[in-house]
Amino acid sequence: MPQHKILIANRGEIAMRILSACVRLGHGFVCVYTEADAASGHVRLAREQGGEGSLRRIRSYQDASEIFAVADATNATAVHPGYGFFAEDFRFARRAETRDRPLVFIGPSWGVIRDLGDKINTKRIARSLGVPTIPGSDRPIFDEMEAVELALTIFAFQREQGIAEGCVLVKASAGGGGMGIEEVYDLDAFRSAYRRIRNYAKRNLSDEGVLIEQRIFDFNHLEVQVAGERGGKNAVHFGTRNCSVQSLGRQKRIEVAPGFDAASIEYAFDAGRVLDAITSHSVNMALAVGYDNVGTWEWIVTPKGEPFLMEVNTRIQVENGVSGVISRLRGADRGEARVDIIAEQLRLGLGEPLGYTQADVSFSGVGIEYRVIAEDPSNRFTPCLGRIERFSWRPEPWLAVSTQVPTAVTGEPYDIPMDYDPNLALAIIWGADLREARARGEAFLDGLVLEGADASGAPLATNVAFLRARTQTLLHF
Amino acid sequence: MLNVKEMLEELKASPYEEIEVVTPHTGVIQFVGLKAGDRVAGPGGKWNEKPGSVLATLTREKNKKNICATQKGVVTDIAADLEGQFVEAGVRLLTIRHFLSKDEVIARILKKALYLFCAPERAKYYFVPEIDGKIKAGGEQSVKPRDGMEMFIVSRMKRETPLAYSGPEGIIYAVYFQQGDNVDGGQPLIGVCQESQLTLIQDVVNRVQGEWEEQD
Repeated sequence: MPQHKILIANRGEIAMRILSACVRLGHGFVCVYTEADAASGHVRLAREQGGEGSLRRIRSYQDASEIFAVADATNATAVHPGYGFFAEDFRFARRAETRDRPLVFIGPSWGVIRDLGDKINTKRIARSLGVPTIPGSDRPIFDEMEAVELALTIFAFQREQGIAEGCVLVKASAGGGGMGIEEVYDLDAFRSAYRRIRNYAKRNLSDEGVLIEQRIFDFNHLEVQVAGERGGKNAVHFGTRNCSVQSLGRQKRIEVAPGFDAASIEYAFDAGRVLDAITSHSVNMALAVGYDNVGTWEWIVTPKGEPFLMEVNTRIQVENGVSGVISRLRGADRGEARVDIIAEQLRLGLGEPLGYTQADVSFSGVGIEYRVIAEDPSNRFTPCLGRIERFSWRPEPWLAVSTQVPTAVTGEPYDIPMDYDPNLALAIIWGADLREARARGEAFLDGLVLEGADASGAPLATNVAFLRARTQTLLHF
Repeated sequence: MLNVKEMLEELKASPYEEIEVVTPHTGVIQFVGLKAGDRVAGPGGKWNEKPGSVLATLTREKNKKNICATQKGVVTDIAADLEGQFVEAGVRLLTIRHFLSKDEVIARILKKALYLFCAPERAKYYFVPEIDGKIKAGGEQSVKPRDGMEMFIVSRMKRETPLAYSGPEGIIYAVYFQQGDNVDGGQPLIGVCQESQLTLIQDVVNRVQGEWEEQD
């Protein structure tokens, strides 16, 4: 396989994981950073692994021309968008591939991103393939009167179903990752939420489209990790994960793989059948649309075991590692190995074939991923700005921690930049079963030292206690 | 009580500011033959629609962009070694010594007299769409802030929250932030002029008009 030089168009821990995968696969890399990120771990790691020549300071991670100018100046041959920023921007992917000096876009081809990036179009495709989707609008709503009428219809339907307190979700059509989404319980709140989301979407996503959906309570949020090769003819899945532990803003905080664990927990439905259904629906849909890189099919499953497809994320996700830690690949040349999903993404993105089938993929044990964040869970998960002074944990063979906070390595204090998410670290724990994974997860959190001060000098708020409290209820409805 | 005379003396002792011109983004830099001591013009026209003197060009992805003076003044300290180089964002190119105009002196003094509503924390700030529309249509002074009025959107770490104004009623006399730019906690967002301050403001304007000599 020819060696590439990959421009990592992202920051923080995902930039570090991509960089490590490049090094493992023998590819060169270039990292970019902004002024606010000068102290970030990804800058330090790039400097260590590739020297100053592998780093370029740019104006913004969201300026495509900056990315392409750096790619040209450093002779990069491919661009990895990570997650967020340009990861789901089909225009960026198209521009990378069609410019005078083309770059390989490490992600699905731009046509696939365009078709599945729009929640509404995804819903249409899913419905045409017989995949169940959430009741609600199947096109973006731009008109407030029309939105109100749709909300009224959903409230009326919920009343008919005997739901005392109806609830409607208002979502930015082009949003994702828990951003641009609100739930409302009455019509007055609906009107202002609709305007707010539309303004947010216009400002941040350049797309005013808003989706109105029925809010389904007491659901589990499951995901299927899919990987397909270029050409879209072969695809496999790397199992399911459960992402139901979320903040009030519907951002994930703990992920568990697999999505249900019938060996440890009694469900009111056949959990194995539900997992089979969502994995086969996801892979079939991937094959139908010619999906050609890694991606995630997101599902909600009701307490009765009814799955509904929510959306498809046409990118690597934060939580890919928790699927990787339980997935095993069999093969003549590799024995049985854990799966590095980012390395698979690079391999597939650069045009290598899958080289295995679903029969070669097996699963072992239970994985838990904790997102350690500077935030105050008791105050609506408000992000906390401040300085980290101590950050350490006990290394264990069953534990992998990714963090951009340099304090963990150098001991130097680190000021959390306000321009980005306050995510500090991802910790992935593996156990032979749910009981062992939980016990190890709690042991990790108990041994975690994370101290600092916020802007007012008070102790830095973190979500560690919240993660600890939620560990025992993982995978339950 | 505001001592206008004293403030004017202070400003007269150091009647200029040094403006560092940095690259806004990456690209290949070409200077346009300026040398230290050259005078440059700032933006002009009724709405500042005419850009200032070209200082250098920055070429990125075949697009050449002029880097223009944002204020009039005298060029000092040019980083000539960057000529023809691919540069990163935020690299210093040259410095402009800008001598303060009467309007700038008035704005500086008034900043001490107006009621300043400050950013509670470091974040990006926007006016809510209704206020933004009003300012665009009728200017800053068409908005009359009152206590509890929802005026701003605070955006940080990709989360947006509304922010209400707190302080005396008046009109917006000055806006001190650019929408979408980072503002540090404690920095003023707007300066509000109360009705009782109108005499003081007139006094500042008169004194500066009479006593300040523009140097270029």
